[in-house]
Amino acid sequence: MADSSLGVLRGTLDLLILKALSWGPAHGYAVAEWIERVTGDTLQIEEGSLYPALHRLDERGLIEAEWGVSGTNRRAKYYDLTTRGRQALKAESDTWTRYARAVFSALEAPASLKPARV
Amino acid sequence: MPAREEPLWRRYFRFFGPDVDADVDEEISFHLEMREKDFLARGLSPEGARKAAIRKFGDVERHRRQLRRQDGRRLRRNRWSERLDEWTQDLRFAFRMLWHHRGFSGAVIATLALGIGATTAIFSAVDAAMLRPLPFADSGRLVQLPDIQIPFAPEGKELPSTLPDIRTVGGFSIFFSGIAAYASGGLNLSGVGSPVRVQVGVVTAGFFSTLGLSPAQGRVFGPEEGRPGNDAVTVISHTLWQRQFGGGKAVGASVRLSGRLYQVIGVMPRGVTFPDGADLWIPLTVPMTFESFTPFRGFISSTVVARLAPSVSRDAARARLQQAWREIPPTFSDDAKEVIANPLRPLQDTLVGDRRTPMLVLLGATALLLLIACVNVTNLLLAHAATRERELAVRAVLGATRGRLVRQLLVQSLVLSLGGALAGLLCAYASLGVVGTLLPQGLAGLAAPALDGRVLGFAIVLAAITGLGFGLWPAVRGARADAQTAMKSAGGQSAGRARGRTRRMLVAAELALALMLLASAGLMLRSFRALLGIDAGFRTEHVATLQVAFEQGTRSALASRLHVVEGLLEKLQSTPGIEEAGIVNDLPLSGQGGIALQVEPEGRPADSTALRKFARYLKASGGYFRALNIPLLRGRLLTEADDSIAPKVAVISSTMARQYWPNQDPIGMRFRNGGAGNEGYRTVIGVVADVREHLDEDPQPQAYYPIHESPPLNLSLVARGTLPESGLLAALREAVRAVDPTQAVYNVRMLDEMQSISLAPRRSNTTLITTFGLLALLLAVVGVYGVVAYNVTLRNRELGIRAALGARRADLARLVIREGLGVALVGVSIGLAGAFALSRVLRALLYGVGPSDPASFIAAALVLLLPVLGATLIPARRAARANPVEVMRTE
Repeated sequence: MADSSLGVLRGTLDLLILKALSWGPAHGYAVAEWIERVTGDTLQIEEGSLYPALHRLDERGLIEAEWGVSGTNRRAKYYDLTTRGRQALKAESDTWTRYARAVFSALEAPASLKPARV
Repeated sequence: MPAREEPLWRRYFRFFGPDVDADVDEEISFHLEMREKDFLARGLSPEGARKAAIRKFGDVERHRRQLRRQDGRRLRRNRWSERLDEWTQDLRFAFRMLWHHRGFSGAVIATLALGIGATTAIFSAVDAAMLRPLPFADSGRLVQLPDIQIPFAPEGKELPSTLPDIRTVGGFSIFFSGIAAYASGGLNLSGVGSPVRVQVGVVTAGFFSTLGLSPAQGRVFGPEEGRPGNDAVTVISHTLWQRQFGGGKAVGASVRLSGRLYQVIGVMPRGVTFPDGADLWIPLTVPMTFESFTPFRGFISSTVVARLAPSVSRDAARARLQQAWREIPPTFSDDAKEVIANPLRPLQDTLVGDRRTPMLVLLGATALLLLIACVNVTNLLLAHAATRERELAVRAVLGATRGRLVRQLLVQSLVLSLGGALAGLLCAYASLGVVGTLLPQGLAGLAAPALDGRVLGFAIVLAAITGLGFGLWPAVRGARADAQTAMKSAGGQSAGRARGRTRRMLVAAELALALMLLASAGLMLRSFRALLGIDAGFRTEHVATLQVAFEQGTRSALASRLHVVEGLLEKLQSTPGIEEAGIVNDLPLSGQGGIALQVEPEGRPADSTALRKFARYLKASGGYFRALNIPLLRGRLLTEADDSIAPKVAVISSTMARQYWPNQDPIGMRFRNGGAGNEGYRTVIGVVADVREHLDEDPQPQAYYPIHESPPLNLSLVARGTLPESGLLAALREAVRAVDPTQAVYNVRMLDEMQSISLAPRRSNTTLITTFGLLALLLAVVGVYGVVAYNVTLRNRELGIRAALGARRADLARLVIREGLGVALVGVSIGLAGAFALSRVLRALLYGVGPSDPASFIAAALVLLLPVLGATLIPARRAARANPVEVMRTE
């Protein structure tokens, strides 16, 4: 977790992958690219670590993999959300949003709400 | 990503499932290529683009390794669960099918249960007796040494021994690390209450160490206690410790054995009861003294056992013994030749003794029965497969691979055979009692047949083998079912024909096997009948008997014994309902053995051949002969006047008369006992008929001395009368109680009961083989019926056409009967040849019947053919009723 760029919390990466796949099947490279594009340089993800996460989600049945042919006519492994994956995405993102909102409101709280001193 | 050439074998393996490693490589390289292109487009140099792509990816090798591991694990897990799924599916399917065809499944399981149950039961006996090692440390190193003497010192002075004795052999310590002699017999143990009869092991000091047994408490005999004078010590068994001492302090206590006090020095662990189920052990002294064996009916037969020293072979040990035998005086060189001719036998072999053959024969018989059961089941499965031909064809069309179908059918037959094994084990468990009687006496307390892990394993392996054996063929045939033919033809008649031929062959084989068993059973039954028909030389009806053993060592022992003998006879003779009563030392058929003495007729020099002539030595009262109806052939019987001060006399058996005084009148002839302790000559006063000691052995020469001359320590009372059994037995007990209330009695029973006990092993063998034969018959008849009836069904159309073309009913029936009989005759002729071969093996078990006894063979063939004929008649009647109209309509 060096300087301004953040390492990715475990579980967060899974959520990002599910979100990436919510627009339709994609191969690993596309997922990596999407994450980079939407988060900018904020999240430093080693692209290699994406794949163990993908395979793990596949094994857990949240996404499913299938070999297909890429736009460049190359054999590539495509991932797609399963129904369970879609439900998981919904639940996880709700939890995340609530969590983030809570932390954010705490950090932005006015000074009048400072902890009582007894 | 360096594109490595994928090896050919790996591609081949892809057929069986995804190649995890290649897939991971491909996924990673695709990613890197895409990223590289992206950087190129952004203007990086090709070299820089590749490096940047890799940098962005992170440690490629580490990720690759992790992915491969992760996916490999997952693949393996999936494969397992897939396989498990398939098996569960097959199993579930098998159960459903078998439940659906309950009648068929029941028939198969019952048939297999018979085969597997019988085989397992007999195997448990074979296992207990021969396969399981004796419960001694390293028991394979224990050998029995034949004809080794134990030195004898009758009056404190040791007799010079002429043959190799236990001390000589004890010196061969390079060859034997331990040597011991043991014998066993019954003694009266007096403690609290009335005396009880206990089984005593009489053993030399080295016995326990040689066998590798150590006491649970106290100690065993030391070398000092193995010599005369210090031998009043005893080691007791766990059972006796519990019974007599209530599990309390026993070491140091005293017990009285037949009048002599013994100090308890040790207690053996639970389960140690060798030899012959011993309750306790006392020392067998070296040299032996009269005290050693007088309590045991004056006779004790010992066995010498030795433990081979490490790395000494049995042959090497034998060579040393042979050398010892060559050094003895030439008088006994004939004996020596005999002794050294035989190799040393392991102790276990000698304990199993002549029971080995019957057990193996029975195991063979059950194997035949199992084979018949398998043939029957194969037949059932083939018939069953025919009814499922369509179903299998449909499934093949729907994409089931042939391997899958075979597997499924095999799973079915395995389920059936395991069901059969389970039911069979129940049968085997129920028959353990009968099976136990097959075990030799020598193994009493050492081995009992049990359904332990090995026997269970045996049954399971048997089930698996039979399941595969009878299932494989029908399964492969069934799976081969050609979809097109099966779907087209109504019931596959052509295939049915070919299958009919196979089934006929199987049934012929089955009949042959059954005939072999039946012929063996016939031979055994005829032997048993021959034995029952043997005149043992005496009548057992209405004769009751019991045994008493006097305590030794009382001062006026002889006088008091005489007093008891006279009292007993008087009391019995005055009891109303008792016609004759008598006393003898050893009863015939008791299987207890006895003494034979050398006989030297007067006036003939004691040459070496005469020395070898022995006669059985007995003591009896005159009433003994009358009670057992042993006919007096000449002269007179013994009376109470033939006492110790009267002239010495003897009654002899007719064989003895013939042997020593051929073509002469033996009355008035005189003889004496050779060997040690020569006494004066004895006059023959009477000749009685021969009495057999064992039913299946020719009578020995017998000499009866008057019991009133010197009553032995062990007596058997006999009484014949008109009282009912219980009354006779009670009268005997009462007589003993009246004369000496403290005297223990044992073996109280009717004489014919004793005869039946002596025949028990043979009876078990015969019963079992006959049972197996009858079961085989049943299976064979069912098999024949199945095949013929099935063929009639298949040929229904043909028969109908024949009937339409004018065939008479009798013709149709004849057609079917001819087919059944053809099969039967082929089976019977093969079976007769097989039975003939088998009977050579049986020879050792037969008595009074030749192994190729035609009556047994003909009877067996008839017993087999008649029910088989009956079994073909039922379908033949059905065939005769074949109705052309009906047949045409169903077409």
